[in-house]
Amino acid sequence: MKRQRDKEETSSDEIISDNIDVDTEDISDEDIEGTISSAMSDCETFDQKEAQVQYEIGANGYPRQIWPEIDPIYESDTSTEEPVNTVGNIPMEWYDDYPHIGYDINGKKIMKPATSDELDKFLNNMEDPDSWLCVKDVLSQQNVKLSEEELEIIRRIQMGAFPDPNYDPYEPTIEWFTSKPEVMPLNATPEPKRRFVPSKWEAKRIMKIVRAIRQGRIVLGKTQTPKPRYYSLWTDNDKPREEHIMQIPAPKIKLPEHDESYNPPAEYLPTDKEKEEWEKMDPEDREKNYLPQKYPCLRAVPAYGRFIQDRFNRCLDLYLAPRMRRNKLNIDPESLLPKLPNPKDLQPFPTSITLSYDAHKGRVREFSIDPSGIWLLSGSDDKTIRMWEITTGRCVKTWDMDEIVHSVAWCPNKDICAFAVAISNKVIIISPPAVCDDETTNLTAQYVASGFNTEKNVEWIKPSTEQGDGFLVIVQHAHNKVIKQITWHRKGDYFATVAPDAGNQGILIHQLSRHQTQQPFRRTKGMVQRVMFHPIKPLFFVATQTFVRIYNLVKQELVKTLQSGVKWISSLDIHSMGDNIIIGSYDKRLCWFDLDLSSRPYKALRFHSKAIRSVAFHKRLPLFASCSDDGTIQIFHGMVYNDLLQNPLIVPVKILKAGHEVVNNLGVLHCEFHPTQPWIISSGADHSLKLWT
Amino acid sequence: MDTLQEEENQIQVRFVTQQKEYAVTDSAILVPTKLRRYGLSEIINHLLGFEKPVPFDFMIDNQFLRTSLEEYLQTKELSTENILTIEYVESMLPPTSLSTFQHDDWISAVKGYNKSLFLTGSYDNHVRIFNTSGECLQTLLGHIAPIKSVAWVSVTGKSKNYRNEHAICLSASQDRSIRSWQVSLTDGQYTPLYDCKGHKESVECISVNSSCTEFASVSLDSSILLWTTIQPEANEEIEKKSKRRKLNKDILAPIATMRGHVGPISSVMFDKNDSNKMYSGGWDHSIRVWDVETRTNIDTKVCFSSYICDKTVLGIACSDNLIASGHSDKLVRIWDPRTEDSAMVKLTLSSHKNWVSCVSWSPKSQFMLASGSYDGTVKIWDIRSRTPLYTIQNSNSQEKNSLMKKLFCIDWDFDMILSGGEDNQLHLYGTKTLDIQS
Repeated sequence: MKRQRDKEETSSDEIISDNIDVDTEDISDEDIEGTISSAMSDCETFDQKEAQVQYEIGANGYPRQIWPEIDPIYESDTSTEEPVNTVGNIPMEWYDDYPHIGYDINGKKIMKPATSDELDKFLNNMEDPDSWLCVKDVLSQQNVKLSEEELEIIRRIQMGAFPDPNYDPYEPTIEWFTSKPEVMPLNATPEPKRRFVPSKWEAKRIMKIVRAIRQGRIVLGKTQTPKPRYYSLWTDNDKPREEHIMQIPAPKIKLPEHDESYNPPAEYLPTDKEKEEWEKMDPEDREKNYLPQKYPCLRAVPAYGRFIQDRFNRCLDLYLAPRMRRNKLNIDPESLLPKLPNPKDLQPFPTSITLSYDAHKGRVREFSIDPSGIWLLSGSDDKTIRMWEITTGRCVKTWDMDEIVHSVAWCPNKDICAFAVAISNKVIIISPPAVCDDETTNLTAQYVASGFNTEKNVEWIKPSTEQGDGFLVIVQHAHNKVIKQITWHRKGDYFATVAPDAGNQGILIHQLSRHQTQQPFRRTKGMVQRVMFHPIKPLFFVATQTFVRIYNLVKQELVKTLQSGVKWISSLDIHSMGDNIIIGSYDKRLCWFDLDLSSRPYKALRFHSKAIRSVAFHKRLPLFASCSDDGTIQIFHGMVYNDLLQNPLIVPVKILKAGHEVVNNLGVLHCEFHPTQPWIISSGADHSLKLWT
Repeated sequence: MDTLQEEENQIQVRFVTQQKEYAVTDSAILVPTKLRRYGLSEIINHLLGFEKPVPFDFMIDNQFLRTSLEEYLQTKELSTENILTIEYVESMLPPTSLSTFQHDDWISAVKGYNKSLFLTGSYDNHVRIFNTSGECLQTLLGHIAPIKSVAWVSVTGKSKNYRNEHAICLSASQDRSIRSWQVSLTDGQYTPLYDCKGHKESVECISVNSSCTEFASVSLDSSILLWTTIQPEANEEIEKKSKRRKLNKDILAPIATMRGHVGPISSVMFDKNDSNKMYSGGWDHSIRVWDVETRTNIDTKVCFSSYICDKTVLGIACSDNLIASGHSDKLVRIWDPRTEDSAMVKLTLSSHKNWVSCVSWSPKSQFMLASGSYDGTVKIWDIRSRTPLYTIQNSNSQEKNSLMKKLFCIDWDFDMILSGGEDNQLHLYGTKTLDIQS
C-alpha cells in the first residue's frame, strides 16, 4: 500500500513539472489531457487489482497471495492513435513548399491538413465563441484549444505568481541543526578530539610570527614611519635592485673612443703611412679593427660596413662568457695545518754538526754507543772495527777483521765491558782492553769463561790470543750465511742474531753466560729483516718485509701481528716504555705503532725523499730520528704519555742536512741517539760518522 | 741655527782611569759627541803628550764603548747637558803568534809555569816539558793511555833559566791513573813519584789547590777524588817490610771521594784564593760548589734557561770571584759563586761556532778571559763587552770539510796564551799590552 502511494506522489510531481515546462504558446491540450487521464485510469486499475488478490494455502500451510496478471494497457495509449510529427524543433517554414509537414514514427509523410483561408478563419472566429482560446500547434499545423488549467497557469505566470497554485513558498522551516542540544540528537558521535586540543596549524602560524619577532623582521611596538607621499624622481639615493644570486651580468661592450667619431679631431686621423701599415698587418695583429675616418657631416656617413661582423663577435662574446659562478675558497692555508707546538719549545734536540769521526776507508754500516755514553764502536766495509771517544772524536782502538763488519753491539750490562761483532757467519764477543778498570775486566772474563759448547746450530769456540786483542768468544754458526744483525736483551746475557738468508736458522738466541743457543722458531714466515727484545717484558719483535710479529718468549706464542702497510721494512726500534715502536721502510715511510691502539700504524710519516735506512728512539728524552739515503737525518719529538687516553704527540723538529755525502745512492746508513745527552750520531756511506748536538 | 746644532753635538766628559801612569786632568772637557773610541784615544794621547800613541779603550758604567758617543747617548736616552764620566784603560793589543811547538799527536792538556816552562799532555801517552825556546826538556813516559790533564805542583830553584832545578808535576790519563813526576830540568832525569789509582774510568781533569798540598781529580765515573801531594813515605816502610814486590813508584789512595754529579764529570777547579772551595762541572749540565774540608756539595748551579738545555760543562776556570764555564751549546757562561740563586747566570758570551772545550781567566785582569773551542778558534773576552775582543784563528786549519781542527786545552800564563788541540801543535800567543817605557 505504501509503495503504491509513493508511486502516486511521484507521478503527480511529474505532472506538475510537465505543466511548468509547457511553453504557453505551444501547448497541445490533448496531449496534457491524455496524460492526466491515463494517470487517473492507472489509479483506478490498481485499486481494482488489489481487490482481485486471491489467497490459497501454500505448501508450508500458510496462505499465499496470488496476484492477478498485470495489464499494461497498451490500447489506452493515445499517442498511437494520431501520427506524431518527428521532425523536432526546426523552423517549420522549411516545409512550407511541401505538401507534408513532417514524418511520423514509421517514416511516413504526414500530409498538411487542409488550411482554411482568411475568410474561413474569420468566420470561424465569429462562429466559435472559444476561438480566442485556440492556439496553433506548429507541428500539426492545427489549432488547439487551451484547457482551463492551462489558462490558469498562463494567468498566474502573467501575474508573476508561482505557476502551481498549490506551491507554498512560506512553509515553516524545520531546524534540523540547532544551537540547542536536543534530547535525541541527530548525530550521536562523540565530540572529536580536535575540539579540545589546540590547533596545530594555528601554533605553526604563531611560531612563524614568533620567529619573525626573534629575528627582528617584526619589531613590536614600532610605529610605522609613513612613507613620504612624494619622492624625488631624480635623486641619487635610490639603490639599484639587488641582483639575483645566480645573475651573471653580460660582458659589457667597450665604449666607443674619440677616433670612432664620424668627425674626429685631426690628431686622431692616421697618416698615409699609418694607413698603409694598418693595411699590411694581419687582421689578428691590428690594434684596432677600424681606421678613423672623417666625414664633413653626419649625412655623408655611409652605412656601417662591419655591422654583421660586430654583431657576430658580440654574440660570440655572450656565448663564450662564463655561465657558472665559481666561488673562490677564501681559506687561510695556515688554518688547515694541524696545531703543533713550536719546535723551539721542544728543545733539547740535536741541531748542528759538532764532530766528525773520519778514519774508515769503507762504508760504516753500523755502530754502537756504549751504555755509559763515552765510547763509540763502528764497524765498516773496510773490515775494521774502530772504537772512538765520543766527545773528542779520537779513535782509541782499531781491530782488523777478515770480513766486512755487518753489525756491532755493546752489551747493555754496565757491569761487564764487552761487545758483539757480526762477521760473515761468526759472532765475536770482544772486551776492549785498557778501557774499563781491572775489576770489570775480570768480571767480564769470568762471565764468559765457562762453556764453549758445540751444538747443532752453533759452535762456541775459545779464541787464541793471536786471533785478536780482547777476543773472548767466537760463536761460529753452522750455516754459512751472513749475519746481518745482533741485538742484545736488556740484561746483557742473551743476544739474538739475524741471518736473513739462512732459512729456519735465521733467528738464533744465544746465552752468553752459559754458552747456549736456542732456535726459537722452527719455521720463519717471510724474510726476517730485524729482531728486537722488548725493553721490559719478555716479548720478542720480529720484523719481516711487511709485518712485525710479537712473540711472548715465556709462553712461546704469537701475541700480535702488526701490519705495517709498507713494502719492505728496513729498520725497527722500540720506545723505552715498550708500548710504541717505529719502523722505517725502503719505500720512504716511517710508521709509528701504538701497541695499545691497533695493529695498524698510528701515524705514517713520509718526509724522506729516499729509502729510510735506520730509525732510532732516544732512551730518555722524547725524541726519535730517521736517517735516509737522501743524506738527511730527521729528528722528531715523540712524546708518549702515561695517560692511556692521550695519544702520542709527534712533531717534526729538525732536518739535519749537509753532514753526509751521498755516495752511490747511499746516504746515511745508521743513526743512534746518545744514551744520556740529546745528541745523535750517524754513520754514512761517505766513510765517516758524525756527531750532531 | 747651525751654531746651535754644533753646540748640541758636544758633551762635557770627565776622563778617569785606574792606571796611575795614564792619569789626566780631572776637569771636564767638552768633546764632540760623534767621536768614537779612536777619537777619544787621540784626545787622551794628546792630553798626555805621548809621542808614540797608546791605544785606549773607554768604558761608561763598566761597559765598553763600542759605538760613537752620540749613539750611546741615544740608546741610553741620556741628556748631553750632564757631565759624562768615562773611564779609560789601556787597550789590549792584538795577540801575536809567538811560536808553535810540534807534537807527535793531539795535545790534550797544557799548563804554563811562570812564562818559561810549558807542560803538555798528549794523546801519544807522553807528557812533555818545553822551555820558551821550543826545546823539549823532558818527555815523561809511563802512561799506557792518552793523557787527559796535567798540572804543576811545584818548581824549586831560583835561577832565571831554571837550571839545577826540580819540578814536580802531575798527569792524569785515560788509563784511570794519575801519576806524579819529579823531573830534574838539568840532566834529563825523571822519576815517577807515585801513582794515584781509584778511578774506574778515564780521569778527565785534575786541579791543584793554591797551597799545593792537595789536588782533586774528576773522572767519567762521576766521582771526584781528593788526593794529597805529600809523598807517602810512611807507607814505603810498611811495604818494604811486607816484602811486596817493590816498584819504583808507590800507589796512592784517595783521601776523600765526593759524589754528587750524575754522569761523567769533565772538569774541576780549586778556588784561587780559598783552597777550601772547589768547583766541578759535568755532563749533567750542572756546576757544583764543594766544601773541601767537609766534603760536601754546598751549591749546585744548573744551566737551564727557557729553551736550551744541552749544556754539558766542558771546562771551568775561576778568577778572583767569578767562574767561567764552557759549554756544549757553544756558549761561555760567567757565574758568580757567591749568589744563592742556583740558576743565575751572570753573563752569557756567545760567539763560538762549536763546543767550547776550555776556558782560562787572565792572570792579570779580572775582566779578561780566553776560551778555546772545537771550531778551532781562541777567543779573548772582556766581560765588560758582549763581543769578543779578539779571535785567534789558526790560518793553517782550513780543512776541506766544514769542521775545523778542535782545540782541547788553553792556558793563560801571565802574558801568554797557550793552546793545543787536534793539529798537534802547541801555539803560543803573546798578549802583551803596550809598554810605555819601550
